[in-house]
Amino acid sequence: MDILLEVIVFGLTIGVVYGIVALGISLIYTGLDIVHFAHGEIYMFGAFFGLVFSEHLKVPYAFAILCAMFVTGILGIVIERVFYRRLTRAGGGYTVAGMGMIICGFGMSVVLMNIAFLLFGADAEPFPVSFGAPYQIGEIFLPKSYAITAVASLVLMAALHFLLKFTKIGLAIRAVAANKDIAFLMGINVPLMISLIFGLACAVAAAAGVLIGPMQSVQVEMGYLMLMKAFAAAVVGGFGSLPGAIIGGLLVGVFENLGAAYVSGSHKDIYAFLLLILVLMLRPSGLFGVEAKVKA
Amino acid sequence: MRKLKTSLIMVAVTTALIAVNSASLAGTIRIGATMRMVSENGQKYGQMVQDEFDIINETGGINGNKIELTLLNDECKSDKGVANANKFVHERKVHLIIGSTCSSVSLPIVDVTAKAGVPQIIPHSTNAKITQKGSAWVFRVPVSGRYYAGVNAKYVGENIGKKIAYICAADAASQNDCEAMQKQMKSQFGSEAAYVAQVQEKEVDFRTHMLKIRSAKVDGIMVAALAETMSRALVQSYEAGIGPKVRRIGSSSASNAPVPKIAGDAVIGVFYAAAYAAADTRPIAIMFNNMVRQRYGIHAPDHDFSQAWDLVRIVEIALGRASLKLDDGNLAADRTAIRDALATVKDYNGLGSGPISFCADATPQCRDGNRTAVLVAYKKGGENFETEVLARVTMPADFGL
Repeated sequence: MDILLEVIVFGLTIGVVYGIVALGISLIYTGLDIVHFAHGEIYMFGAFFGLVFSEHLKVPYAFAILCAMFVTGILGIVIERVFYRRLTRAGGGYTVAGMGMIICGFGMSVVLMNIAFLLFGADAEPFPVSFGAPYQIGEIFLPKSYAITAVASLVLMAALHFLLKFTKIGLAIRAVAANKDIAFLMGINVPLMISLIFGLACAVAAAAGVLIGPMQSVQVEMGYLMLMKAFAAAVVGGFGSLPGAIIGGLLVGVFENLGAAYVSGSHKDIYAFLLLILVLMLRPSGLFGVEAKVKA
Repeated sequence: MRKLKTSLIMVAVTTALIAVNSASLAGTIRIGATMRMVSENGQKYGQMVQDEFDIINETGGINGNKIELTLLNDECKSDKGVANANKFVHERKVHLIIGSTCSSVSLPIVDVTAKAGVPQIIPHSTNAKITQKGSAWVFRVPVSGRYYAGVNAKYVGENIGKKIAYICAADAASQNDCEAMQKQMKSQFGSEAAYVAQVQEKEVDFRTHMLKIRSAKVDGIMVAALAETMSRALVQSYEAGIGPKVRRIGSSSASNAPVPKIAGDAVIGVFYAAAYAAADTRPIAIMFNNMVRQRYGIHAPDHDFSQAWDLVRIVEIALGRASLKLDDGNLAADRTAIRDALATVKDYNGLGSGPISFCADATPQCRDGNRTAVLVAYKKGGENFETEVLARVTMPADFGL
């Protein structure tokens, strides 16, 4: 019992990061009807960009997050325009049903990882950001990096929510997500919105990468495990549901930490997937799932 | 007639090519090396092995014979390591195999070399089971994990306390280090583990483990993991509120340069048993440190560098003693001669923490060459880290068996 609160707090801080990566995956799924398997590598690139800005260009950490988001967003747009757009065009519209995009996503994942190997090398890199002494509340220690991660993630979510709900661009994005053909007939530039959705999702993943960097160091292979956890979060929350992705992330983070603390600390990653199986058995569409559509 | 003439010319050219090829192979000692060369450190000690053999060739070779080294990267993956070993044995027809860095790779290669009858000399792997398999073809330059565990346990039990928590990563070397340390703490001090966690090889989140360890009020935490994983665990142990009074004990990979670089100040006070300390003040060590710094830009070489360098020297000695024919018909005899020559290496004093000796029996006592470990502690973290030697201990040959 003595560590329960800390376990939950730690679970929430890592869960919120799972949540924002899952948010990107869900955003792409909602807007583009594709499951993006290279999103873990986008997250990894974001972390490296953040490291470059923070360590090499000596940009303040908060600004490094924004810079990494911008550069990764541009990278995402380039990937979508140059590679994925061709697949969707070949499919005769904006959507690719079937295996094509899944395989393309896996391929992109391998390509991005190898490019990262060439650019950044195979060594794990420290992401030294001095946050100062941890907060101590009674016997509870909360490192400032964790608190900053939680606050930054919440701000990011709020900003995304504001963008999607209260701006014209957000309205256009939602229209494209709902029905691309009707959105086109209403005068919305659908290809532009699709690029924007992809760029936004990649920028959000980059923010997660830069936030996690000081806690776990940065390395080329960091994307795989995060992708698995983020997928678990997205499925638990309901694939395609943006609030669901966040709630799913928090649940996965807390569940795996509680499992590690009170069942067995060994091989704690299984708890995330146990939760995933449990939710799929009880509610196949996830906690906040929407009606299943034909998706890639 | 013209067709016959063309055919004859082709046969003659082919025969000449075969003759030239055979001539180039005669007088060449073929060595295959498979190592983990994914990190910057790995690439550089791989390069150092290549460079050292090149220097031997430039200075006349060994008994007039040139060494032809094939250096492959196994990425610390057992399937790639075994594929490399099979390539060396069956395609390259090597006389000697060097490898690997990782225990999980060296272990299956032992079976390949034992079956094919090719001598194998190990540069870095510490898992005790490597020599316990009983292969007559295996020689180990580094200190076996069973000796490291004995040295660590003795120091911990006598100087730190008996209530120890263990974080054990899934790779073969870390598993062995963790199990052997627990066994030694029990046999030397009757102490059971206060907490044990098995984690993935590349685990990133140790915070829950650290909270449980903090509440268990332990005297020390042993983190047995590869360099990056260990660094993260060390940093997160402080984030979870475990103060510096609780000593951190590293497995042998704590000597790798990425640990102080990634862990930063969290590495201060961490100690580990190793086969080499960059803080060594012997002239040979100072010369080696300078050479590695100038040639490869490494601030302070770890024992992966020193062991690779010692290995080349030992191979040089053994090849010099072996009576080799170096033609295809005598490949098996040459391999046996190299194995037997390696077994004659006695009291080689190089960079290692102690003299390295082998003998003919296919037992761990004969094939675990170095029985001396140094206990090293970090005084400063970061790129320009500093270490100090706490102790140097030589173990009996049958210790931990």
